[in-house]
Amino acid sequence: MSDNKQGATFPAEGGVREGSLDFIRQALSQGCFDAVLIPAKMPLSDSFAYALIEDESLLKDAYPLCPIMTVQGARVISALTRRGKGKKVLSAWLRPCEVRATVELSKLGQINLENIILISIDCPGVLPLADWAKEPEKTESAFSELVKGIDIEGVRPICQICDKFSATGGEDLHIGTIGMQDSLLLIPNSPKGRSILDNLGLQAAPDISDWQSQVDALTADRKKKREQAHKELESRAKGLDNLLHTFSTCINCHNCMRVCPICYCRQCFFDSDNSKFPFEDYLVRAEAAGGLRLPPETLLFHIGRMLHMSLSCVSCGACEDACPTSIPVAQVFSLVGSKNQKAFDYVPGRSADEPLPLRVYQDREFEEVEQSGARAPAPEET
Amino acid sequence: MPKVLRLNQGAEEGVKELLKFLLESGDTRGVLTLTKVDEGGGVAYSLVTDPKVLEDALPLFPLMPVNAGKVLSRITLIEPTDKPIVAVMKPCELRAFAELLKRSQGSLENFLFISSTCGGVYPLKTAISENIGEKLPQYWDAVKKGEILPEVRRNCTACTQFIPYTADMTVALIGNSDIEKQCEIYLNTSKAEEVVTGMTGEVSEQELNTEALETLRSRRKVQKDKLLDEVKDLDMEKVFGKCIGCRACSKVCPACYCHLCFFESPTSEHRALDYERELSKNGGVRVPLDTIFYHLVRLFHVSLSCVGCGQCNDVCPVNIPLGAVALKTAGAVQEAFDYVAGRSIEEELPITIFKPEEFAGVE
Repeated sequence: MSDNKQGATFPAEGGVREGSLDFIRQALSQGCFDAVLIPAKMPLSDSFAYALIEDESLLKDAYPLCPIMTVQGARVISALTRRGKGKKVLSAWLRPCEVRATVELSKLGQINLENIILISIDCPGVLPLADWAKEPEKTESAFSELVKGIDIEGVRPICQICDKFSATGGEDLHIGTIGMQDSLLLIPNSPKGRSILDNLGLQAAPDISDWQSQVDALTADRKKKREQAHKELESRAKGLDNLLHTFSTCINCHNCMRVCPICYCRQCFFDSDNSKFPFEDYLVRAEAAGGLRLPPETLLFHIGRMLHMSLSCVSCGACEDACPTSIPVAQVFSLVGSKNQKAFDYVPGRSADEPLPLRVYQDREFEEVEQSGARAPAPEET
Repeated sequence: MPKVLRLNQGAEEGVKELLKFLLESGDTRGVLTLTKVDEGGGVAYSLVTDPKVLEDALPLFPLMPVNAGKVLSRITLIEPTDKPIVAVMKPCELRAFAELLKRSQGSLENFLFISSTCGGVYPLKTAISENIGEKLPQYWDAVKKGEILPEVRRNCTACTQFIPYTADMTVALIGNSDIEKQCEIYLNTSKAEEVVTGMTGEVSEQELNTEALETLRSRRKVQKDKLLDEVKDLDMEKVFGKCIGCRACSKVCPACYCHLCFFESPTSEHRALDYERELSKNGGVRVPLDTIFYHLVRLFHVSLSCVGCGQCNDVCPVNIPLGAVALKTAGAVQEAFDYVAGRSIEEELPITIFKPEEFAGVE
C-alpha cells in the first residue's frame, strides 16, 4: 500500500448500493465516462449478469455488489475488448479479484484497457452459486445482511480466506466501505481515477487512516486464516495419492477451465488433437496398470492447468463455483498459486506495468544456468 | 425365442463373472466398465485389462459420471480397435454412441455391448453428498418391483427407453425379483451366444418379462408428462437468463460433438462496436452477448440426436432445467421425423437424407 494515498468522501446515507449508484449517476451526467459495466439484476429473471448501461434509468437494476459471481468480470471485459477498444469510455465496476484478473488478462493481450476505467470496491465476498441456484431469495437476503458487516461466515470458502478484498493496486479508483458510516471513500489510484474526482469537484484529502487501519487489521487476520487453511489443505492434498483422491470425482467436464478468467487459450491442450490417441495407445496404457480410467488424464489436466495459470491465479473461486462435483478446485489452486507467486515475488494484478515472470527473459538467467552446469558436481551448494 | 444365460448369483456379481470369463478365456482384450477408483467413493469408467482389477468393477452402478457413448467416441475416433473389447453401458449411453457413429465420431468395430434394462442413475450431486453404496438396497428394490425411485435423475424417472436397442447382451434387471440371487443375461446376437460358450451357467430360451417392463413404461410415461408439463409454457428468457455461460451442458453432452462450437469460434467473438451498437439502441446490454441464443442454437443442433440422458441437467451450476427442456424439444423433433435417437445404427439421420420429392414439395 502506498503511503501517499488520498481519498474523498461521497455521501451514502442510503447504504453502499445507493451511494454507489448516486456516484455513477453523477459521473455519467458529468461525462466522466460514457457507460458503466456493472452487475445487474436481469429484468425478466431473478438472475444477475454484467450489463453495460448508458441509460441512467436502467441503473435501478444495478448492484455494485451482487450476492454471487456469475461470469467473472475479467471475462466480461475480455468479451468486450478482446478484438480492440471501443469508441466509448467505460467504467467497469468490479470486485478486487476481478480487477486483478483483468490486469492479468491485459498483460496476456486479452483485454484492451485504453478506454476502460477500473473501479473496485471493498468486497465482503460472494455466496456460493449453488446456494443461490437453490434458493435465490434466501441467498439475496443473506447477502444484504452480509454487506452490512464485512467478515461473516456463509461466503464461499475461498472468499473467507481472501486477503486481497480491498484496493489491490491495479484499479483506477477504489471505493472504500469498510468502517465507513453513511459515506463512501473514493481513493484514486491513477490519472484516470483522479480525473473523475476532479470532474466531480471532489477534494481528495490525505487522511484515510481510519479506513486504512481497519483494512490492514482485517487483511492481517485474513492472511492468518489463509495460511492456516493452506496448511490444512496441504496435509490433505499433497502428494500423488492425496491429489488423486481430491480429484477422484472429477468428470472431466473442464468447467473449471471454462469459467476461469485466466484460462484464455482459444483451444485448451486437453481439448486438442494432442490429447486424442489411437485406441491402441489407450489399451497399452491400460495393460501397463491392469486398467485405465476414462476419460484419461483427469489429474494431468488439473496439473497442466495449474502449471499454465497458477502464476496469474487470483483466487476468485469461479472454478469451484462451477464444478459439478464440488471439488475444492479454487482452494487447491490458491495454495499452489500462492507458492508459485511467492517464488517469483509476483502478485497477480498488483500492477499492469509489472511484467509476467515467465514472459521476461534476462541474459543473466542464462548465465546462471551455464554456471550451475559448470558447478554440477557440487550438490551441497544447491 | 431369445436365448438367456442364467447365472446363480446376484446380477452385478454375475456380470462381473461374465466379464472375468471373457477376459480370461476368450479373445477379449479389454472391458469398459464403471469401476471404483477411490476409497472415498469415486466411480468412473475404466478400460480394464487385468481380471484382478475387475474386482473393483461396478458394471451396474447407478451413476453416470460421463456418458459412456462420449467416452467410446473419444477412444475410437482416430482408429477402430483391432482387438475385441467389451463395453458395459446404460441404454441411453448405447443410444448416444449409435448417434455418434452416424456422425462419424467413432467406430464400433470389434466391440461387444452389454447393457441392461435400466432403473436410472442418481444425480451426480447425490454421489458427492451422500453415499450411494448405502442407497443401493433401496435402488435395487425399486428396480425389482418395476417402480420409479424418485431420487434418480428427473430425466431417468421420465425415461421410456430403458430397454437397450442395440446391445449384444441385455441384463434383465427391471422386474427381476431374484436380482440378488439370479443374473439373467439375454443373448441378443450370435456373437453374444458365441462368446459365452463354455461359461458355467444355464442357457435356455425365454422372453423378457414384458409385464414388468410395460408397467414401468406406463409409470414413466406419467412422470414424463408431468416433467414436460413443467416446461410447457417456459419463458426462455427467464429460464436461460440464469446461465453463466460456462458451456458445461455442451461439454458433457454426447450429442454435442463439434470440435469447435460455433459459440466459441471467432464468429462469436464480438467487437466492442457490436456492444456499443446494442447500447445505443437499448441504453443497456448484457455482456457477454448470446446467452439465450446459445441455448436455442444448441437445442436446434442436438435435438435430433438427444438421447435424454440428463447429463446437461446434472452439471448445470445454476440448476437450469436443461434435461426437461431437452426432453421436450428432442421429443417433438424426433417425433416429427419418426425417428428415435439411437434406436438403430443403420437408420440414417433424417437431415442427412435427401429425397428428390422433398424438393418438388417446396417448388
